[in-house]
Amino acid sequence: MVVNYLKSTINNRFDTWLKRRVPSRFHHKLSRRNIFIMPTKFGFAYLFFVFLLFLLATNYQNNIIMLMSYLLASFFITVMMHSFYNFSGLEFTSPAKHAGFAKQSISLPISIIAKRPHFDLTISFAKQVGKQQFIHLKQCKVGCTEVSLPFIAEHRGVIEPGRIKISSEYAFGLFISWAVLDFSHQFTIYPQPKKVRTNQYRSADQSDNSGSSYSNQSAGSDDFSELKDYVIGESRARTAWKQFARGQGRYTKHYQNQQGSLHWLKLGDMPTNNLEEQLSFLCYLVLEYSNKEQNFGLDLTQRGDTTINTISPNTGQEHQKLCLSALAHVKQQA
Amino acid sequence: MSIKHSKASAFTMSKNCAWLFWVCQLLNISSLSIELSAWMLGILALCLCWQALILSREKRLTAKASTAKPLQKINLSFVPSLFLKLLAISGCIAIAISAKQFGVLISMVHLLAFAYALKAFEITQRKDFYQHILLGLFLLASALIFRQDLVFSLWILFLVIINLAILHQVFAKADSVAKSSKTVAIMLLQSSLLAVVLFVIFPRLAPFWQVPLAKSAKTGLSDEVAPGDIANLALSSELAFRVNFNDEKVPLYSQLYWRAMTLENYDGRKWTRAKQDKRAQQISRQKFSPITSGPAISYQVFAEPNYQPWLFALSVATTTNSKLVLNRDYTVQSTTVVNQPISYQIKSYPEAPLALSISQESRQKNLSISKGSNPRLEQLASMLKAKYPDHLTLAKVVENTFRNQNFYYTLQAPQLINNSLDQFYFDTKAGFCVHYASSFTYLMRAAGIPARIVTGYLGGEYNNISRQNNSNQTGHLSIYQYDAHAWSEIWIEGIGWYRVDPTAAVDPERVSSGWSTALLEQQSELNGDYMSLYRLKQLAWLNTLRLQLDAIDYQWTRWVLGYSSKQQYDLLKRLLGKEVPWKAAALIAVALVLFMGLFTLFNKISFIKNTLNKKPPEQVLFNKCIAALNKKGIDKAPYQTIQQLCFIVSNELPQSSSDFTNLTTTFQLLRYQQYNKLERQALLTQLKTEVNCFLKGVNQDNTKLNQKTSPL
Repeated sequence: MVVNYLKSTINNRFDTWLKRRVPSRFHHKLSRRNIFIMPTKFGFAYLFFVFLLFLLATNYQNNIIMLMSYLLASFFITVMMHSFYNFSGLEFTSPAKHAGFAKQSISLPISIIAKRPHFDLTISFAKQVGKQQFIHLKQCKVGCTEVSLPFIAEHRGVIEPGRIKISSEYAFGLFISWAVLDFSHQFTIYPQPKKVRTNQYRSADQSDNSGSSYSNQSAGSDDFSELKDYVIGESRARTAWKQFARGQGRYTKHYQNQQGSLHWLKLGDMPTNNLEEQLSFLCYLVLEYSNKEQNFGLDLTQRGDTTINTISPNTGQEHQKLCLSALAHVKQQA
Repeated sequence: MSIKHSKASAFTMSKNCAWLFWVCQLLNISSLSIELSAWMLGILALCLCWQALILSREKRLTAKASTAKPLQKINLSFVPSLFLKLLAISGCIAIAISAKQFGVLISMVHLLAFAYALKAFEITQRKDFYQHILLGLFLLASALIFRQDLVFSLWILFLVIINLAILHQVFAKADSVAKSSKTVAIMLLQSSLLAVVLFVIFPRLAPFWQVPLAKSAKTGLSDEVAPGDIANLALSSELAFRVNFNDEKVPLYSQLYWRAMTLENYDGRKWTRAKQDKRAQQISRQKFSPITSGPAISYQVFAEPNYQPWLFALSVATTTNSKLVLNRDYTVQSTTVVNQPISYQIKSYPEAPLALSISQESRQKNLSISKGSNPRLEQLASMLKAKYPDHLTLAKVVENTFRNQNFYYTLQAPQLINNSLDQFYFDTKAGFCVHYASSFTYLMRAAGIPARIVTGYLGGEYNNISRQNNSNQTGHLSIYQYDAHAWSEIWIEGIGWYRVDPTAAVDPERVSSGWSTALLEQQSELNGDYMSLYRLKQLAWLNTLRLQLDAIDYQWTRWVLGYSSKQQYDLLKRLLGKEVPWKAAALIAVALVLFMGLFTLFNKISFIKNTLNKKPPEQVLFNKCIAALNKKGIDKAPYQTIQQLCFIVSNELPQSSSDFTNLTTTFQLLRYQQYNKLERQALLTQLKTEVNCFLKGVNQDNTKLNQKTSPL
């Protein structure tokens, strides 16, 4: 208990100090300000070994072994300087906002600018979030190097993965030099899409309530209504290939619900009571509908909740993004 | 770039690196090979062969698979562990059994080397590799317990570089081994500054605890001598000790009788050192301070380890060194066995007499002969005794017989039956120094004159190469094993122990200037050594080189090996005056800061150099133009292409526009097209003229613009 408490307070203190020392930026350059350097376990073992040599030399009054122990001790300091210079001068840039689906790999792009070759860089997240993964660069050549750090989130929501840790044990493994850089990274994690069949959803829809003004009109997304002349830019998925093959010209199929009728995707309509699962279904539907370029709105009002959380119907990439991030932001009810 | 999911991946090496690792192990172990016993060397060789087998099998496997893997990763760790354990246990038992024979230190070295060879089989993680590297470095350090000469130390330094280069390879797999070695060598060079400061300043401490000492075979003179013994030693050209006379005059060659020990017991076959009984031991425990008179010379002796306590000095020697004991027979010995190079200061009084009075006991001892062992000599002695009552005259007469009769000084003395001195004196008449000294001493004793044999070294090679650097110094003497010598001392009332060297009568050259050519020829013939001393001395330049090397080795022995805590204290006191400790600490701190500062500076300079060198000449020229445009207020944004820039220039500076377009086309050709050297050169000169033309134009334009803007 006490140990844990101490640990957490020390960590908190360190974090606040770090916030002052290495503030959040879009672009970082490694220098004296933000590089930490410490002997590794091997480094300490090496020091102990040098001390043993010194003892050996003293006990045997042997000047050559003495010289060797001093040389290796000075070498330790030289390696420290080399580790530092292998590290300093590197520049890192990474955009802050990213989005992706839960349980899928999201790649976080980081560009490294080097003015001279640097060796043995390891890039990872400073804190254990999700599955820990890291990138290892044997050599970072002069110029700009683009790397992407994979990230897998377990749950939807807004995640701040925290600082990026860049470390290196270059030269001899005696020292680890590292920097924890804050790019204010923020991941919007959408729910994991879960397939839901239309009939499942529709039955749920019908069983819910028929008094709703708009749900009746949505007689299903697949109801074909008419063919219209092809307009450049319309989706190929809706091209009437049959007619096109016959040589009757290019037409586009249009469906009933697009004739002004709005399609509302409702949280409560999902065939389950688990909120997370409902959101997963909704996520799938949002993706489906936007792929088909259908007009749809999103209603995320939860049962028993007074605040109304809706997104008015629309189409397009922007709308999809809005809807998905709304899904990510839904709060779990107490 | 590689993405990894877990850090605890198996440790692997590239094939080249694995082989280098193998070679490195071989070299590490071989640097200890003299200390290791034959069976241990066998086991180690077996381990290394096994490793080599695994490595080569790995190679064959990849050849079979014929997959395009550029670097085969090798892991040595698939030797059956049970077998390894068995080998380890049996090896340890074998070492334990032979520990009594080896002594503690050598057993420890065996254990270390054995562990080092076996550890190589179970390198599965990086941690194991680190352990192995440290073990290897420790192995090298322990090799330095036994030998510390310059050549060996440099060899160990070389091996340290190789070991660290292998460690470096793990982190810079892309680099070649040569490049890694270079990196390590440079880093060690950078470290050497601080290391030297630490070596000079950091306090030399006394040993913390008793450690097992190296017990090697005794070298040099032995404490028992039979005729013909020193002739064997004379074949060796190993260094025995060196002497530095500082700024004093070096005595004549014939005066350089370096006494090591006196042999007073004779059993009819060989001479041995007098065994001290309990009473004598008690006496010798009391400090003996010889009576001195006459002029003194002081000198410093740097003795090589001979694993015996005997040391070397001219008579009558005095010293203030607490580690030395002055014996009652006017020899000097160390309190411990000399197992590493030592240096000591001696003050000698060459003209002072040795023991004006001797005890009855000592007299008896030095008169005793085993009666009947050499009857003819005894007969001769009694005859001489009757004829020459004066002891000194008698000695001179015997010397003269050596000189006048047909005696022959040789390394290849005929074999004597039972070491009979009669046979030598009357029949063979050929022998080395011990033959002469023995028969002379025997004759003296038989004639009633106390006499004894003294062994030591005679002369020494004077090397004044070190003198050229420092005019105050007179160079140094190097005394080799072939300078080993035996002579006699007789005790005469009123004179004390008087030195008589029968060799001087037989071979005067040996005593006045060293080995004669005939002897040297004999030596090289006996040695069968191509690079023998005789041949070396024939070739002038080789001899100079040999003396150079000797001088370097001397300096190494003197300044590095001989740097003791006393010397350190004296030096620091001279440098820092009072309050040595904290000033020394401050000096170390300053050295550390200086070292880091220099390092930073060095790094900055090399960085700047790098960036300058990296830019091709056309870029430098083009950058000049950009800078000129910058002055005019035209900035080239990073996203702008050169064409866009041309457009801007043609708008803003119409006069220079054509010049600029010309130079940009040349620049682009140079930058993006492949040319051979000549074409490049031609284009570069073209670019240079164009740039100059443009810059001139811009500068003139600049003044015009200023005139234009000033009225506004």
